[in-house]
Amino acid sequence: MSKTLTTCPYCGTGCALYLLTDDAGRLIGVEPSATHPTSRGQLCVKGWNAHAFVHHPERLTTPLIRKNGQLQPASWEEALDLMARRLLELAQTHGPETLMFLSSAKATNEENYLLMKLARAVFGSNNVDHCARLCHASTVVGLAETFGSGAMTNSIACFEQADCILVTGSNTTEQHPLIGARILQAKGRGTKLIVADSRRIRLARVADLHLRQRNGSDVALLNGMMHVILREGLEDRDFIASRTENFAALQQEVAGWTPQRAAAITGLEPAQIVEAALLFARAEKAMLVYSMGITQHSHGVDNVRAVANLALLTGNLGRPGTGVNPLRGQNNVQGGCDMGALPDVLTGYQKVADHAVREKFAAAWGVNNLPETPGLMATEAMNRAAAGGMKGFFILGENPLLSDPDQGHVRRALENLEFLVVQEIFLSETAQLADVVLPAACYAEKAGTFTSTERRVQRVRQAVAPPGEARSDWEILGELAQRAGYDGMRYSDPSEIMAEIAALTPSYAGIDYARIDQLGLCWPCPDKGHPGTPILHRERFTRGLGRFSPTGYLPPAELPDADYPLLLTTGRTYFHWHTGTMTRRSHLLDREERTAFVEVSPEDARQLGLLEGEEVQVASRRGEISARARITEMVPTGTIFLPFHFAEGAANALTHNVLDPEAGIPEFKVCGARIRKLP
Amino acid sequence: MKALTHLELEIFLRSLESEFDLRAPIRLLDGSRALGRLSEGPLALHGGRIPRKPTDLFFAQQEKVFEAFPDGRYALPESPSKPLLVLGWTAEDLDCLEFIDRFFSSGFADDLYLAKRQRAVIIGLTGECGAGGELLRLAGGKCDLELIAEGERFIVSHYSEAGRKLAARIDCRENNASLDQLRAASELLPNADRQLLRQASALLRSGQVPDAFWASIGERCIACTGCNLVCPTCTCFGVQDWSYPTHVERSRMWDSCQLGGFMREASGHNPLGSEALRSRRRIHHKLVADLERWGHFTCFLCRRCDSACPTGIGILAVCHELVTRYGGGETNEKFGVE
Repeated sequence: MSKTLTTCPYCGTGCALYLLTDDAGRLIGVEPSATHPTSRGQLCVKGWNAHAFVHHPERLTTPLIRKNGQLQPASWEEALDLMARRLLELAQTHGPETLMFLSSAKATNEENYLLMKLARAVFGSNNVDHCARLCHASTVVGLAETFGSGAMTNSIACFEQADCILVTGSNTTEQHPLIGARILQAKGRGTKLIVADSRRIRLARVADLHLRQRNGSDVALLNGMMHVILREGLEDRDFIASRTENFAALQQEVAGWTPQRAAAITGLEPAQIVEAALLFARAEKAMLVYSMGITQHSHGVDNVRAVANLALLTGNLGRPGTGVNPLRGQNNVQGGCDMGALPDVLTGYQKVADHAVREKFAAAWGVNNLPETPGLMATEAMNRAAAGGMKGFFILGENPLLSDPDQGHVRRALENLEFLVVQEIFLSETAQLADVVLPAACYAEKAGTFTSTERRVQRVRQAVAPPGEARSDWEILGELAQRAGYDGMRYSDPSEIMAEIAALTPSYAGIDYARIDQLGLCWPCPDKGHPGTPILHRERFTRGLGRFSPTGYLPPAELPDADYPLLLTTGRTYFHWHTGTMTRRSHLLDREERTAFVEVSPEDARQLGLLEGEEVQVASRRGEISARARITEMVPTGTIFLPFHFAEGAANALTHNVLDPEAGIPEFKVCGARIRKLP
Repeated sequence: MKALTHLELEIFLRSLESEFDLRAPIRLLDGSRALGRLSEGPLALHGGRIPRKPTDLFFAQQEKVFEAFPDGRYALPESPSKPLLVLGWTAEDLDCLEFIDRFFSSGFADDLYLAKRQRAVIIGLTGECGAGGELLRLAGGKCDLELIAEGERFIVSHYSEAGRKLAARIDCRENNASLDQLRAASELLPNADRQLLRQASALLRSGQVPDAFWASIGERCIACTGCNLVCPTCTCFGVQDWSYPTHVERSRMWDSCQLGGFMREASGHNPLGSEALRSRRRIHHKLVADLERWGHFTCFLCRRCDSACPTGIGILAVCHELVTRYGGGETNEKFGVE
């Protein structure tokens, strides 16, 4: 019997919990940390069930190698030798640019660091990326440009201090439940709440103002609000004068964004836009909260710029209860980015193009040089693989066959590869295509750190032994590097990896395991005496001055038309998480949402003659799936919603593989679709 | 009566470890408290109720029910080799334990529960051991032994043969302690929350709480299930079967009536298909249905659900809101509420 303090493996909120283990070494439950500033003795339903999948009989327990078309059990020696040999052969024969390394927002910081080190130091490739490409790549680009740092500016505690909260494109009570709960509590205490979301999410039901703008029209809405704020003289002139630059350009852009023009694009009433602007700008402390509804567009970076512009215009940065707060969707997607599992930066967003940075890392890693040209984004690599231009993928803990847009395209891409390795805890849909599958330890079976959405670096601790021969990702990566001829990835404990990260990463320099034993620290934490930084940009922006980045409106790439008259938007449900590998194997969570469903408005259902729960065909230009109709006022007429958790009704068989030109993020939130009633 | 110093108590507890699987309040890494073995952390007797319901030692969040093999054999979980000895129950926790003992033995016998419970020794921990030395209501029974904190010492009171035997083994310097003052103080502890439950129950039974109230509560329920999972008198569980290559394992896990799937019918119809209906049911069950079934409420005011709810709709918070909005003299009179 033991109690192991660790960090929740689901969303990026970063709740601390105890895993309870019986005398036989089996998990028997979860208890929230009563003293942790985020969990405070509370959890969401996924957190309370965080133990439930760990001992599932379908866990991978031995390496698998494809022989005669079948995945067959193999020894670690055989699997690792084969991997090292094949990846080196491909790099030597076709060039390292034909390899892609997909890291994981579910893995620890230490493991993300090692995978990018493996890609760069051992295989000489900057082709390393992870699923931030699919969620907040737009944030990283947009906020780096405007503020100098692409992360949540404020802490979770700040939600209790805001006078007004604008939530746009975030179903917070379902996707970051303990943050959503704070918003509900704040609302109960009198905080004004504006929700901009086409779906009637829970927060919308209690909001002072619910703006159901057309999907993809966020720039028009935000520019319209800024137009009103300037017209009414509600901008924060002192803040603009002392803390920002490029204001004149913003004035010029938004001058033409009258509420009437914004209303015509968003589908809102002009008065709603005016009301939102006044509510937000008149608050002493106003906060912006956003998530995938802003980022997952072909103009996602523009959306982020517009959000940042609104905060700059109203001086809502650098203070408690304010800020631009992108909520990170996975337990360690912030850390995956921080660790340089991105094609253009090393740890702490140090650019690979910077000679001095490369010199520093090369010296520390004991290699002669590191590649200087930014590598491929995950979505670009998938496109290139589909075109036959890639040879090998190493995928650690991701499931692109369900998570990436246009499933048929992804399948073609993966099947085109000469060599595919997947390191996983279950035999995911992607792993079923692999040449080699490596069994990994899950979060409850290893040590390391996760970095939460509020930039809090927190401990992950081992509660139980991995099943069978499964090993921690960091151990596997070290073994592979050694077989590939590199001796610089041998560690006896993840704390040694964190020490290396801290030595190379200014924002993590003050972090070590002893300091984060109980509560964690928010980066930047530049030295061992530094208390961490819950609020960014207090005195100055990371880039110096905050930069207004005015942006015009671009429509989504594919809007409904005569053939596909419905707007399809996709996302997650409360009870499942991403591609469902863990939650669909957790009894209570799976019981709550057992099958793929499509939300249809009552009016659309009437037009189509649909009954509640009946099986329908949903199609787009990319494909067709079946799902059960869920008739609900959650979606407006003309819009349908599909969750992407379900392999048997894969939303991403339908989504559109069009990318934001700067961030490479796909447009998951808008495409044309139709529903067909089955005969 | 005997009274132990902290050191004498710790020595006594350690002397029991060879005989019992001992669980006592310990301090965890994050500073919070839990019931654990003395090897898991320092003894932490002060601080009030333990966050996790202590009844989970007999009814775990997830536990194996049996294993079934292809040849028709099946195996039940092994009985614990040593009986549990659990120190750390507040008076409210003991009320809850007394109820679920009855529940798990009434009409059917829950083998898994009783296998752990029947030989267990229960030690209450009350008196001046709340947060900051706050006085916790004395139990005066419903356990084998009660340790009542007074200043720096713990006065011993026993209520069963097992408790008497344990008390007789206690070696301490003081043998003439009195509980008179603490008992008197305990009886004077405020009873307002009990009265609140009575008022809320009366309003519910008289049909004076409109659907709109439950809709407003339901809007704030994010279905975390924490209210049920932390409640010592919630006994619902789900069952799952996992197929391994060598056998099938059946296990059970705490379930929650705040989940849509809890009552969903095979047709897909759900008689409790909204958060509003489920929230109403949660409160109604404890304050109305169980009153009719058992003759008393099954909320014993442990307050865990109020602490665990992220949006502030634990049972006391809901009752407070309900009574504030709809409470009135007529209802109280009709149902004989004081």
